[in-house]
Amino acid sequence: MKIRLNPIVRKDLQVAARSMKLSWGVFLYDLVLVLTFLLAMAIIQSEVGSVYSRDNIYSYLVYLFPVLAIVQIGIVALIVPIITSSSISGEKERQTFDIMLTTCLSPLRIVWGKVLSGVLRILFYVVAGMPILAISFVVGGMSWANLFYYLVALTLFAIFSGSIGVMCSAMSRRSITAVIRSFVVYFVIYGLTFLPSLIRMIYGMDAGESFLFYLFNPGVFFEEFFMQIMTGQSLFDGNNISSSDVGFFTGLLSNGTLWMFISGACIILMTVVFLLVAAWMINPMHSYAGRKRRKKKKGTE
Amino acid sequence: MLYINNLTKNYGKFTAVDNLSLHVPEGDLFGFVGPNGAGKTTTIRIVCGLLKASGGTVQIGDTKAAVGSKEMKRMIGYVPDFFGVYDNLKVKEYMDMYGSMYGMLSSDIAKLTDDLLELVNLTDKKEFYVDTLSRGMKQRLCVARALLHNPKLLILDEPNSGLDPRARVEMKELLKNLHSMGKTIVISSHILSELSEMCDSIGIMNKGKLITAGRIENIMQQAAGGKKIHVRVASEMEPVVRMMKEEAGVVVDSVRENELIITHSGTEEAVCELIGRMIQNKVLLTGFYQEEGNLESLFMQLTGGKN
Repeated sequence: MKIRLNPIVRKDLQVAARSMKLSWGVFLYDLVLVLTFLLAMAIIQSEVGSVYSRDNIYSYLVYLFPVLAIVQIGIVALIVPIITSSSISGEKERQTFDIMLTTCLSPLRIVWGKVLSGVLRILFYVVAGMPILAISFVVGGMSWANLFYYLVALTLFAIFSGSIGVMCSAMSRRSITAVIRSFVVYFVIYGLTFLPSLIRMIYGMDAGESFLFYLFNPGVFFEEFFMQIMTGQSLFDGNNISSSDVGFFTGLLSNGTLWMFISGACIILMTVVFLLVAAWMINPMHSYAGRKRRKKKKGTE
Repeated sequence: MLYINNLTKNYGKFTAVDNLSLHVPEGDLFGFVGPNGAGKTTTIRIVCGLLKASGGTVQIGDTKAAVGSKEMKRMIGYVPDFFGVYDNLKVKEYMDMYGSMYGMLSSDIAKLTDDLLELVNLTDKKEFYVDTLSRGMKQRLCVARALLHNPKLLILDEPNSGLDPRARVEMKELLKNLHSMGKTIVISSHILSELSEMCDSIGIMNKGKLITAGRIENIMQQAAGGKKIHVRVASEMEPVVRMMKEEAGVVVDSVRENELIITHSGTEEAVCELIGRMIQNKVLLTGFYQEEGNLESLFMQLTGGKN
């Protein structure tokens, strides 16, 4: 059976692979990971190197994986919106977008193709960084299964970030505007999810169900993910926060890995919504596209 | 082939296209003419599914497919006035990408690419990167790209803008070639002399309205109020002028030393009969020819400009 790749993904990867940007990107990405690794090793060395220290070096080395993984997530969080923000607006700037819209590709397939090409490009980086991440295998502290779950979670996060980038790209004519909008949306999502618990804290109230908003926060999702990997516990279970502080549903979700999966589902839901909004925005048969052109026309008159 | 009925596009209070109705027959090369802002590009964009109409319908052939639907998109090949290309993409890859966007198989695309590149005279550029091609070559490549899925209707929006004279001639030849193959082509252009040479029919738009549309010779004749005929004689002018004034449907426009310019509102047969009568009346005819209409002056006349 022959797999038919989305033509946009194939074209974008073909074009990207021929550009030196990709090679330099991989180099810089690995460089950051190596520097993080060396810095972490230096800190561990200074912690256990003292002659008075009774600490076992391995009790520190198991933290190498989460440290490297968090740096990797940080880079993905930074790069994916930049790549995907310029995807549709870049086509508009290059004046190739109209031709694309006259083909049989549906707006949703165009949007999905753009997200997928951005995610695949970032997965090149992740794969290139695997040898560095593999050093943490030498010292132990993680299993193959954990690595697999981590990669799945990272891919999900990359798709989520990409969907924000593509949505902002669909609503912008210029790539730079799209990048700025993407980071604004990013921080609004992160900020808004913390807002209810912050307000309750300021007024000296119990957390109640305000932690449920964290289900939509990818940062908290990864915190929970690493908590589960390292300790097998949830961030929100009774050992970590007072059970009397949290509401019934928060308490219910903090059992086992339920929080992590529900949070993952919420992030997927947000991703789907962003993709649908992006597809709606680029569809010429909807009034949004016409409205954008009218504004431009007024501006040039 | 292309039926446009009462097409309207409003931007708030501004009407870009006002109740436009048009029919382009199958196999026709139709020229869309009008000043900037007349609504030509808006009409083309609506037909291609790039803009939502405020009212009216567009139909291609017998199908009832909606504008912007996959079925409709398969029937149209669109060449915009200006388009960009991708860096680091070869000509054959460019064709392959767009072919796969129409759901075509790579093997079919490869075969068609060879034929189409030959048609647009770019066979030797197959392995070249698209961004290294000249503007004229890119334009021809875009035509090849638009023909890849074998559309029923080819729409070109100002295909000659920004091209040098040689590239324009090549584009004109290409379009004539496609027309001779039976393709239905709609072309919008400002270069009226080229349109009058190429097109079977034209539509003149101004301020969002279609002023006139039809066979190019009919429009010319209609605008001039009849056939403008130059009659050259070697005999005396006076009896000829008298005879012409007595003829039904003939108006004498001007009389020169050996030449008479008349407007004949009759049919071709009536013109032939007039020649016969002149010969019978022993008029020494040295020349008799119908003036070819000038699209530019017609355009200026119909769009309210001065000539």
